[in-house]
Amino acid sequence: MTRPSGLAIYAFLYLVFLYLPVLFLPLFSFNSGTIVAFPIKGWTLDWYRQLGGEETLIQALMNSMIVGVVTALLATSMGLFAARAYVRYRFRGKKASEGLVMLPLVIPGIIVASSMLVLFISIGIKPSLTAVTLGHTFLALPFSVSIMKSAFDDFDPSLEEAAFDLGSSVFETFRRVTLPIVAPGIVASLLVTFTVSFDEFVLAFFLSGNQPTLPVYIWSQIRFPAKLPNTLALGSLLLLASVALLVLAEYFRRRSTKSTI
Amino acid sequence: MTAKNIIELQGIEKRFGKFVAVSNLDLNLREGEFFSLLGPSGCGKTTALRMIAGFQEPTAGRVIIDGQDMDGIPANARPTNMVFQSYAIFPHLNVGNNVAYGLRNRGISKSEIEARVTEALEMVELGGLQARGATELSGGQRQRVALARALVMRPKVLLLDEPLSALDKKLREQMQFEMRHLQQELGITFVMVTHDQYEAMTMSDRIGVMFDGRLVQVDEPPTLYAKPCNKEIASFIGEMNFLPAQVNGDKDKGLTISTPCFGTMEIEKNPNVEQTGREIEIGIRPEQLEIAAEEPEGYDGTVQGKIRDVAFYGENVHYHVQVDGVERPIAASVPNYFHTVDHRPGDAVWLGVQSASVIDLGQNQSKPQ
Repeated sequence: MTRPSGLAIYAFLYLVFLYLPVLFLPLFSFNSGTIVAFPIKGWTLDWYRQLGGEETLIQALMNSMIVGVVTALLATSMGLFAARAYVRYRFRGKKASEGLVMLPLVIPGIIVASSMLVLFISIGIKPSLTAVTLGHTFLALPFSVSIMKSAFDDFDPSLEEAAFDLGSSVFETFRRVTLPIVAPGIVASLLVTFTVSFDEFVLAFFLSGNQPTLPVYIWSQIRFPAKLPNTLALGSLLLLASVALLVLAEYFRRRSTKSTI
Repeated sequence: MTAKNIIELQGIEKRFGKFVAVSNLDLNLREGEFFSLLGPSGCGKTTALRMIAGFQEPTAGRVIIDGQDMDGIPANARPTNMVFQSYAIFPHLNVGNNVAYGLRNRGISKSEIEARVTEALEMVELGGLQARGATELSGGQRQRVALARALVMRPKVLLLDEPLSALDKKLREQMQFEMRHLQQELGITFVMVTHDQYEAMTMSDRIGVMFDGRLVQVDEPPTLYAKPCNKEIASFIGEMNFLPAQVNGDKDKGLTISTPCFGTMEIEKNPNVEQTGREIEIGIRPEQLEIAAEEPEGYDGTVQGKIRDVAFYGENVHYHVQVDGVERPIAASVPNYFHTVDHRPGDAVWLGVQSASVIDLGQNQSKPQ
């Protein structure tokens, strides 16, 4: 089958338009000049070297790591149980609750962020890493639910019944059969939800108070022209890490759908 | 021989909302028998099996296994084990660990587990395959692993949910015999659910036929074939020609009937059907009909007709014969002794039948023609 070449050109331009701006980031991070513009003056790794000495940056990185890890654990464990219920059982309000869980994907971040700020302050949670973590868990839940749902979709319900029939308790069945079989899905969900949290800016900006996460820190640095190349270097590293995590997550997600024939 | 009842189902009913999956099911299963629940899909046979296994609680009635009421006892505490339709082989465990899975729940010593796993695998002719990965098994091997995994638990009753439906025809026929032998060697009660009448007939000591949630007839395969209790079963099990008939005389165990094409005959009453009225329906199995170019001698009923279709099955040849006064063509099946099809479409032929082959199916339920 041959496709019209016009479509191929369109698709190519489409991808260039999408990803070219992103590629400027790493490109300029190796530029020895401080002005982000062509022509490139020379090549250097200085900006990367200087990152190591920034203590506030390291602190922000640690904040992001903590928030990311806790978010990933919370969202994935909630997603695991929610997905199992969605795939296995029929219950009243199932469609509605499935829709509600997916809602964070489409609500504008700024609305979520400002309403969460109001909510948290009114119930006594000050802007802090805790607040960011709660907000991020909310945002990451749709991702973990849909990943875990695809893991359970290919999971033959008779496997759990067989384990139960062979004398396992409900808990033993979960531990010895369900968990190992959906493990690749769990790993995929952990990686994706971590990435969602790690890259998130709007909620973190509103809720982090005086404990900035990495994206909030980067935003604060962009205001200083002299710091810009450092920020580009940092951004490039983040980009690399995110892509690596997502590729890894996809690998595990595919393994999870392949393992239960 | 009076075997005790290993399973007693007393007035079992299962409803899902308004839908009645199984209604008022009474059934006693004898220890050591191979019993099949046979019926079309959606007839409630799997639900019945799952209530014995403990995966579903009956809405009403009692399940008694080996004298013990199973009410409130979950599947993991019942003396039954199940072979699932999909086999449900644990994909993350190798063959040995799959078979050992249940034994590990019982706190049995490691060496005994090993010995019993080895024994179980040899029993299903998979000796030495302990280390094989679950995803590397063929369909037939998966079925054997599922059998070994259940039998290693030494259940009082082995439940099988369409155990052969995922296999191709050749393998299925081979496994039918193997499972039958295994069951006879072990003496364990097997309860199998199937929609395949041949499977049920070749393997079972007794068959229970279910339609629309009701258990309609329980009998040994030859009886079920020869004396079905209604038209539904007669057409579900094997092939059957149905003809209307009129009862002219009724005495003890015999009926004198007049048929639209075979004249008047003396037939045996079917003890499995209620005798009511003069208008009855009779059934004749295709293989009970003689087909010949000349009028066959020594038959209780003969009729002339015209061949409409010929279907060559290899071991048998099927003819559809159009007979005056009968709406649907009559099917006749003859063994292929001489590797030839004797009659061609359009040929005039004679059909002959013995009155012993005519099955009384009771009152005619279909509309008069």
